[in-house]
Amino acid sequence: MKVGVKILPKNEVLDSQGRAVENTLQHHGHKLSGCRMGRYVVLDLNETEKSRALARATEICEFVLYNPLSETYELEVLP
Amino acid sequence: MSKNNESKNLDEKLKHYRLSREEYERMTSLLGRAPQGVEWALFSALWSEHCSYKSSRVHLKNLFSQSPHVLVSFGENAGVFDLGQGERIAFKMESHNHPSFIEPYEGAATGVGGILRDIFAMGARPIALANYLAFGDVDANRMSTLIDGVVRGIGGYGNCVGVPTITGQTEFHRSYNKNILVNALALGLFREGEPVMSARANGVGNLIVYVGAKTGKDGVHGASMASESFDTGGESKKPTIQKGDPFYEKLLIEGCLEVMRAGIVEAVQDMGAAGLTSSSFEMAARGDVGFKLDLDKVPLRDSTMTPEEILLSESQERMLLIVRPENFEKLKAVFSRWNLDAEPIGAVTKGPHVELFWHGELMCRIDPKILTYQAPRHERPFDKWLPRHRVLNIQEPSFGPDRGDRFDQQTPNELLNILTSPLGSSRAWIYRQYDQRVGAKTIFDCDESVGVVRLPDSGRQLGLVLGGRPHVMRFDAYVGGMDSVAYPALELAAKGFRPLAVTDCLNFGNPENREIMTEFVASLDGMNELARASSTPIISGNVSFYNETMGENITSTVTTGLVGLGDPILDESSHLPPRSSFQSVRDELYIVESAQLIFTGLQGERRDHSPSGQGDLRAKEVAEFIQVVRHLSLSRAVRSTRVVGKFGLPYALARMCTAQLGARVQWQPPSKQNWFSETLYQVVFAVDSDRSFEWRELFNKLAANLNINIVRLGEVSDGSLAFEGENRWSVPTVKLRQAYETPWEFVP
Amino acid sequence: MKPVGVVRFLGTNCDQDVFDAVAAVGLKPKWLWYQDQFDRRDLAAVILPGGFSYGDYLRSGALAARAPVMKSILDAANHGTPVLGICNGFQILCEAHLLPGVLLKNDSLRFRDGWVKLRRVGEASAFCNVKESVHLPIAHGDGRYYVEEDQVKQLFDDGRVWWRYEQNPNGSLDSIAGVLNDKKNIAGLMPHPERAMFSYMGGTDGRDFFTSLAL
Repeated sequence: MKVGVKILPKNEVLDSQGRAVENTLQHHGHKLSGCRMGRYVVLDLNETEKSRALARATEICEFVLYNPLSETYELEVLP
Repeated sequence: MSKNNESKNLDEKLKHYRLSREEYERMTSLLGRAPQGVEWALFSALWSEHCSYKSSRVHLKNLFSQSPHVLVSFGENAGVFDLGQGERIAFKMESHNHPSFIEPYEGAATGVGGILRDIFAMGARPIALANYLAFGDVDANRMSTLIDGVVRGIGGYGNCVGVPTITGQTEFHRSYNKNILVNALALGLFREGEPVMSARANGVGNLIVYVGAKTGKDGVHGASMASESFDTGGESKKPTIQKGDPFYEKLLIEGCLEVMRAGIVEAVQDMGAAGLTSSSFEMAARGDVGFKLDLDKVPLRDSTMTPEEILLSESQERMLLIVRPENFEKLKAVFSRWNLDAEPIGAVTKGPHVELFWHGELMCRIDPKILTYQAPRHERPFDKWLPRHRVLNIQEPSFGPDRGDRFDQQTPNELLNILTSPLGSSRAWIYRQYDQRVGAKTIFDCDESVGVVRLPDSGRQLGLVLGGRPHVMRFDAYVGGMDSVAYPALELAAKGFRPLAVTDCLNFGNPENREIMTEFVASLDGMNELARASSTPIISGNVSFYNETMGENITSTVTTGLVGLGDPILDESSHLPPRSSFQSVRDELYIVESAQLIFTGLQGERRDHSPSGQGDLRAKEVAEFIQVVRHLSLSRAVRSTRVVGKFGLPYALARMCTAQLGARVQWQPPSKQNWFSETLYQVVFAVDSDRSFEWRELFNKLAANLNINIVRLGEVSDGSLAFEGENRWSVPTVKLRQAYETPWEFVP
Repeated sequence: MKPVGVVRFLGTNCDQDVFDAVAAVGLKPKWLWYQDQFDRRDLAAVILPGGFSYGDYLRSGALAARAPVMKSILDAANHGTPVLGICNGFQILCEAHLLPGVLLKNDSLRFRDGWVKLRRVGEASAFCNVKESVHLPIAHGDGRYYVEEDQVKQLFDDGRVWWRYEQNPNGSLDSIAGVLNDKKNIAGLMPHPERAMFSYMGGTDGRDFFTSLAL
C-alpha cells in the first residue's frame, strides 16, 4: 500500500522558497495571497491494511521525515 | 527495393546517426562490410567530433606537451605533472557548453562532476576547482536564468562534493547570447607513494567491473548532440540531459581512491561522453586487448532499456574498473563500505575484438581500434593567418574610440560606469556561492587574481589561474592564442609563481566554416608558440566545436588553466605572495612593462568601435618578461601586484583600491591614446618605500639588455584615486568600491 | 590525554580538515565511523565536522542524526563529554535534538561563503579558552537558525546562545551563529574554526576552539 506524505513548513516559520516563488508569481501578474513550498514523499509500504499502513507512515514521519520544529505533515493513502 | 530507395534509406540512416557519406565509406572499408545493428550507434558516438576530435586532431598533435616533468599528457583521463618531492598533480579543463545552455543547473553541475571524475580516475584526490564562464548580454533572452542556473549548478555540485573553487573567470559578450560557455577545471594531488592510474586495460582474464550509479536513459546520444550546432534553441533536445548527484560522487571518490591506493585495481576510466561505449572501447584499444561484455549485467535504473540505450547512456557518477579476479571480493568490500555496488560485467580477452553480449547472445563483434584510433581525421580547409585590425601608426586618429575617451570631464564617470557594468564589475556575487576553503588548504581565494592552495606535505604553494580573453581573440585570434597563455602566466609570475603547465579548452563555432577553422589554427599556433617559449607544456585539454546557433558562431574562445609553483609556507613567519589590492599608505607605485602591442581593447568594444591596434607580440620577449616579473614579485619589498588587463591602467588601479586605500599617480595616457586602451603587457607593483631602492636595483639587474621598462607612477594614498598632471581628476575610493561591488544578482 | 573523536558520515567533507586541526594543536584525533559505536570513556571530546552528510538530502543533518554512531554520542554527551558540531555537525546535533532549534535555508536562498565577525554571548564549559570576538569563515546553504519565539528569550537568559554574527549573513534569528545545550557541554557553531588555524589561511582565531579541548 502506498502512503503519500505531504510536508509543509509551519505557518509561523519563514518559508524563503515559498516567498521567492510567490514574489515571482506576483511579479508576473498572478494575484495570490500566499505560497508555501514543501515536499511530497511516497512510501510504498509492505502493508495491505489501511490503518497499519498509516501507523507505519506516522512512525516513519516521526523518526525522520519531518522536523516538528519547522514543519507539519499530512498523510494520505494512495490508490 | 530500387537503388534509389536504398540510397534514400541510407541517407536517412546517416542523418539519424549524424554520420556523413564519406564516413560511411570509411566504416565499410574498415569493417570489410556494411555496419549492422548496434554498430551504427557505436560509430555515431565514437566518431562524433566530441569523442574523436576528427576536425582538430591533425592540429593538436603539434602541441608542445613534453617536458621531463610531464608524466602523462594527452590520451589519458587527465595530464599529470611532477612537482618533485613526491608530489604530483593531475589537472584538466573540459567544456560543458551545450548541456548548460539546455539546462543550466544540471549542465553546469554535471560539468563539474565529469571533470572531477577525470581527475580521480587518475588516482589524484581533487583539491581545487575553477570555472570559466562566458555569457551573452545580461538582458538577452533567458540569460539571467542561464547565469543564475549555471552558478547554482557549479556551487551545488562542488560545495557538496567538498572541493573548493579557488579561482574563475566570467565574460560577457553578445556572441554568447545563444551559446554560453561553461568550462570547468579540476586539479588533483597525488601525495608521496600514491599511484598514478591509467585507463589502459590489461591482463587477459581480468574482470571489467562497473561501479557507481545505476544506468538510466539520461543523456543517450549526448556526445553526438555536443557535436552539432543548435538549430532550435535546444528546447526539443531536452530529453537527453543528464542529472548529477554530488553526494554519490563523493562516495565514488572515496571508494575509488581507497581501492587504488590498496593496489587492487588495474585500470580505471570514467563513463563520460558516450558512456559505457567510449569507456570500454577506449580502454580496450589503449591496452591493445579485447573485451567480452555482458550488457544485460549492467545495473539498470530502468528495466525497459535497450542494449543501444545502455551503451550510450550518459548517466552520471559511473566508473569502469579493470580488476584481477582474486582482488574482486576485497574491492567489493571497500565499495560496499561506501554504500556503492561493484558489478562485474565482463572480462578482458586477448582480442583484438570487443564482443557485446545480450542475454548470452553475441550481438556485436568489432575491433575497438576501428572506432577509436582509426576514426576519421578531417583536414578542414583554412587560410594562413594575417594579422588583423592593425593600424600602421598609433598616432593616426584611426586608433580607437577617440572622442570621449580622450580626457574630458566624463573620464571619472566613465571609470565608474565601467566598474558598475557587468564587463567591469566584481564577480563576488558569483564566487560567494562557492565554498572556497573546504580542504583547509586555501591561501588565496577568488578575491585574488590567482587562486593558491598549500600542498600539505612540502608546504609549497600551488597557484591556479584561468586565461583566455575573448576580446583579445576578437581583435586577433593569433594574438588571442598567445595571450591565453601569456596573460595568466604573468598573473602567476606577479605573485611569484613559476608557471608550470597548461590545460586548455578550445571553444569554437562550426569547423566546416573556413574562417572558423582559420581562427582555430591561428589561435592554437599562438598558444603553442607561447607555451613553448615559456617552457610551459600543454598537458591536457578538450575541443568544443559547433558552438553555433542558427548560423551564428560564438567568439572563437581559447580558455586555459595554468598551474604555477611558489615557495613553501612552513611556519607563521613564512612570506606570503603579494596581494592584488593596496596594503599600505606610501608604498611606491611602479609600472613594469614590455609594451609590444597596444589596442583599443574592451572599452573600444563597449563603445562599438571596430578594434584597432599597433604592434605585435613576440613570444620570446613575453617569456623573458614573465621571468623578470616573477623575480621582481618574489622580493619581500613588494606588497601588491596586478597585471594590467581589460580597460587599461585606470581600471587596474581602481581594482587595487580598497575602501580606505587609494593612489596618487602621475600618469596620463601617451598622446593619441585613450585612458582605457590596453597595452600588452604591463604589471603594477606597490613597493615598500623603505626598500624600494634595493628593489629598483634588482630591476636594473634583471632587465638589463631586455626590452623592459619601469615607470614610477606615484604612491599609495588615503581615500581617493587621483591622476595628476595636465588633466587632473580623482575619484573617492568609497565610490570606486561601491561601483565595483554593485550587486547585479539575477532573479530569473 | 585521551583522543578527540572526529565523526565521519557518508558525505562528510570537512572531516580531514578537522582531523588535521586537532592534530595541529597537539591533540590526538581519532576517526569515528558513522556505523560504529564507541565507548565514551575512550574519548576526551567528540567533534562532528561540517560538509553535506547524505548530500543534505531530506533536510540537512536529518539522515546523519539517525546513524548508529549517534547513540554513542548521546551517551557521551549525557555523561558530560564535550561535543562540538561545526556547520553540518551543528545541523546534525539540532536534528538529533541534542541542541535546540533548527537550521533552515539561508534567507537569500543561496549558498554563502566568506569571512564573518562573531561576538561571544554565552560560555561553553569545554571551550573556555575562546576569545570574546573572533573572525571565522562560513560556508553554508542552510544556516538560518530558528527556534520558536518564546524559546529565544529563554536561550539568551540561560546563556545558551553561544555566538552571534556581527552582520547577519543568512537571516538567523537574532543573528545566532552558535548555541549550547543546558549543561553547556554540547556546542553547535555554523562557522568553520578549522579553516582559521594559520595566518596563511587568513586568520588564526579558530585555534582556540581546539586548544580549549586540552584544558
